Amino acid sequence: MAKEKKLSAEPARSATCERPSTFAQFKTLLVKDLKQEFRTKDMVVSMGIYAVLVIVVYGVALSFAKPGAEFLEVSGGLLWALVVFTSLLGLNRSFSHESENGCMEGLLLAPLDRGAVFLAKMFSNLVFLLLVEVIAVPLFWLFFSSYATPADTAWLMVVPLLVGSIGIAGIGTLLSTITTRTRGKDVLLALLFVPVVFPLLYACVSATTAVLVGGDVVAETLRISLVLAAGYDVIMILASWILYEFVVSA
Amino acid sequence: MALLKTSETEIASQAASAPGCAVSVRNLTKAFGTRKAVDRVSFDLPQGAFLSVFGPNGAGKTTLLRTLAKLTRPTEGSVFIDGIDALDEPDIAREHMGLISHNAMLYPDLTAEENLLFYARLYGVRDPEKRVIELLDAVGLKHRRLDLVRTFSRGMTQRVAIARALINDPSVVLLDEPYSGLDPHAMDVFDQLIESVRADRTFIMVSHDLEKGLSLCSHVLVMAKGRVVAFAPREELDAEEFRALYRSTVGMGVA
Repeated sequence: MAKEKKLSAEPARSATCERPSTFAQFKTLLVKDLKQEFRTKDMVVSMGIYAVLVIVVYGVALSFAKPGAEFLEVSGGLLWALVVFTSLLGLNRSFSHESENGCMEGLLLAPLDRGAVFLAKMFSNLVFLLLVEVIAVPLFWLFFSSYATPADTAWLMVVPLLVGSIGIAGIGTLLSTITTRTRGKDVLLALLFVPVVFPLLYACVSATTAVLVGGDVVAETLRISLVLAAGYDVIMILASWILYEFVVSA
Repeated sequence: MALLKTSETEIASQAASAPGCAVSVRNLTKAFGTRKAVDRVSFDLPQGAFLSVFGPNGAGKTTLLRTLAKLTRPTEGSVFIDGIDALDEPDIAREHMGLISHNAMLYPDLTAEENLLFYARLYGVRDPEKRVIELLDAVGLKHRRLDLVRTFSRGMTQRVAIARALINDPSVVLLDEPYSGLDPHAMDVFDQLIESVRADRTFIMVSHDLEKGLSLCSHVLVMAKGRVVAFAPREELDAEEFRALYRSTVGMGVA
């Protein structure tokens, strides 16, 4: 290389920088995450396969159950168990690209708002989780449609799914940042994530079950559950955003 | 200690950056629990200097570099980069710094060009496409710009890492064991590249390679147990005395 071919001269020191806005940095980080994931498909494929396997196991486990309306009362919980464990798998991998080659340090060397790193990673995690849900949720109902017929309000389950996924991506991003440099990070993330996300999970299961079962109490249950879930999202995402600088430079 | 050009207390007593200094470190301390990895380190480095930092494993060299790069918060003390207080104005200080380490800090599944464009946009480099092509040309990898970093050899990856570290045209470049994992040929290429970008820039290099460090440097700093054992300009250094000091320092073992 250098011995055979003389290296060209250093470029003129003319590259001046103009600090980009936080939104521009957020966009750069998000595009990088999406480009990388759609190129490798590491996270989406592993989450998708895991979700399908869980649905198959559910199918086997419930194969002797009698069809009936009671099934609807547990289906919301089963669906959220699928979402939580699938998202855990994805969150564990969400910083794998940053861990490789010390890329996280490369990010932190740049004069950027650490909150932008958090928000970009949260959004990319949310996009991947929603992508998997788009495939897994219809598949879930395809498998279990013979057990019970959900109420007409069942389509409203997209609301708790969206609100819950936002919260999972938010708090999950913060926790996976904390655990990514630890030994036994997979177990540690689960140990931290499940208790912290419990209020959100409770609210989302309640809202999902209400819209599936239907009846007079749907509106009230849905309203209370969604207010609780949305409140959790706002508080936890704000707290994560504020704490992120401390977490990444501790 | 004869090799301490300026006494630590003398430097530490100065409140701010010394005039004309690219890097001024004052009483810098980084503790992990009760253990001080960096203990009251102070030095001034003029613009265009090349400082080689030596010391045994665990002496605090990398922690010093990470603290200078603002990758970790110091427990105490201050750092001035080009007269900017790096603790008060970390983002402005970051704009003046680049870091090359044994980790390339490049995404393996992005191409060399995509990696550099990504960092250029984070720093807000004007005309990032032009700057990226210029740098890839300078490190001799323009023809491989569309190849994934994953497909590069260690030496080629390190050349892209140099381009990454220079993307924001930093005045202070930190080098953390940059020769780690490079074969002799790649080390020569690396030296040539550093030489080609050396003008007007200040370098701080952590290395275990005494001869390599001495051949490049204008200043020498030796650390042991988190503290500065010696700090002197290269020309005022007696090579034999220094080697003896280095051997005895390394003999002190892990801090």
